[in-house]
Amino acid sequence: MQFIYFIVSPLLALIIGLFFLGLFRKIMARIQWRYGPPITQPIIDIIRLFSQKSVSHGHLFNLGIVLSLTGSLVVLMFIPFGKMHPLSNSGGLLVIIYLMLLAPLGIALSGGEAANPNISIGISRELILALGYEVPLLLIMLAVMTHYHTISIVRIVALQQESGEALFSLPLVLSGIAYILILPAILGIRPFDIVKAPQEISSGPLVEYGGAYLALAEIQHALTLVIGISLFVNLFLGGAKNVLIFFLKILVVFILGLFINAALPRMRIEQAIKYLWRWPTLIAFIGLIIVVLK
Amino acid sequence: MDRNKLIKWLKSPSKMGHKYSLHAVYFCTGCGIIEVPPSITARWDAERFGVLPAATPRQANLFLITGYVSLKTLKAIIRTYEQMPDPKFTVAFGSCPINGGMYWDSYNTIKHLDKYIPIDGWIAGCMPRPEAIFIAVTHLWQLIDKDMAEGYKKYRQNYKYYRANQELVLGKLSWPPLFPVEENGLKEAAKG
Repeated sequence: MQFIYFIVSPLLALIIGLFFLGLFRKIMARIQWRYGPPITQPIIDIIRLFSQKSVSHGHLFNLGIVLSLTGSLVVLMFIPFGKMHPLSNSGGLLVIIYLMLLAPLGIALSGGEAANPNISIGISRELILALGYEVPLLLIMLAVMTHYHTISIVRIVALQQESGEALFSLPLVLSGIAYILILPAILGIRPFDIVKAPQEISSGPLVEYGGAYLALAEIQHALTLVIGISLFVNLFLGGAKNVLIFFLKILVVFILGLFINAALPRMRIEQAIKYLWRWPTLIAFIGLIIVVLK
Repeated sequence: MDRNKLIKWLKSPSKMGHKYSLHAVYFCTGCGIIEVPPSITARWDAERFGVLPAATPRQANLFLITGYVSLKTLKAIIRTYEQMPDPKFTVAFGSCPINGGMYWDSYNTIKHLDKYIPIDGWIAGCMPRPEAIFIAVTHLWQLIDKDMAEGYKKYRQNYKYYRANQELVLGKLSWPPLFPVEENGLKEAAKG
């Protein structure tokens, strides 16, 4: 039975991710008083991109995007979806922290092969932004691991189901707030969509991507959305007993993120770093101190 | 709109994908570009047809040429067109790309754009209203359905002719030919 989850878990994440992308465009359209595309539009786009001819820029260009997609798929194996957790008994949070870096690194390697100046700007922004949110993220995860005395994410979920969600219980509330503050940066949505700013640097690392490459990048983007949100739900909203409730929880968090995306303009990269290293880091640090002293 | 017909999707997914996901190069070639912002924003919302401005030519499959084409712009248009991956569709917007329009005797605009790159559809008018873009898109759907929007294939077959015409107005081009051509064939093609 456990073996089926290796196939079902990434497939489910892919379907949810594509649904999220469609919902993203539909709800953004409705907020802007437009009718908006059908909710299946990302799937139509991906079918179109796969049937289009594409230009490769060398072996690393091909391998980098595959590395990025694989990184996202492997992270999904470690994150429990309700009761589905193919690999989460081994490794736990520490492995997730390391593997989450594979996705931006793969895109960076791949883009570096195609020598376009917009790509260099995009990659430098992507890595700087990753540096920005990794610091508070590490503090938050340290606080969670210290509080529950375990690195296993399954154990953390089980403990929360016994004693209430971490976001609403006293010692971890500050860490939860800090995670909410950095969530847009992890998902790459509006105040922090500096990396793929289409109007500024013509979609940054994806400038030279066309056809199947862009389709793979789009799928990877969908998976990133699911990873960022489901990690939050598992760490602070107590996961879920079955897949349906888990889906509802990540849907609520995603729609809240969408409203933030609709309301705020794009930051500059130095503003983003200044913000990420000041408020979320400060709150996460205070949260860690409270957890340690308790 | 037959976007929801499952049988058509199963029969030829790529054709349906191209029909309902037209990503346009956001390339301001002339005064007609002023009609594009209203058509992609809240007033006319092109996204409900699947039309979206793409950030780069590599991600796009629709090329809207909006307005008159000067010699300098023609150079950029050719390079952008050649960068777009196949299949790609071109729509000329306004009367200037059709026959020169009000610039017909100007010294540095070209008159017939389809001599230099293949055009799949035309929108007449000066200026056409944003609704005309949607009419053009629905016509383009019909053309894609009937396999008639095949300018990119025409470009490959008659590349010698197009390249010769390009060199006639622009002089020696600074980029190599997209498809292989013999050097002495170009001048003959320009005459014929």
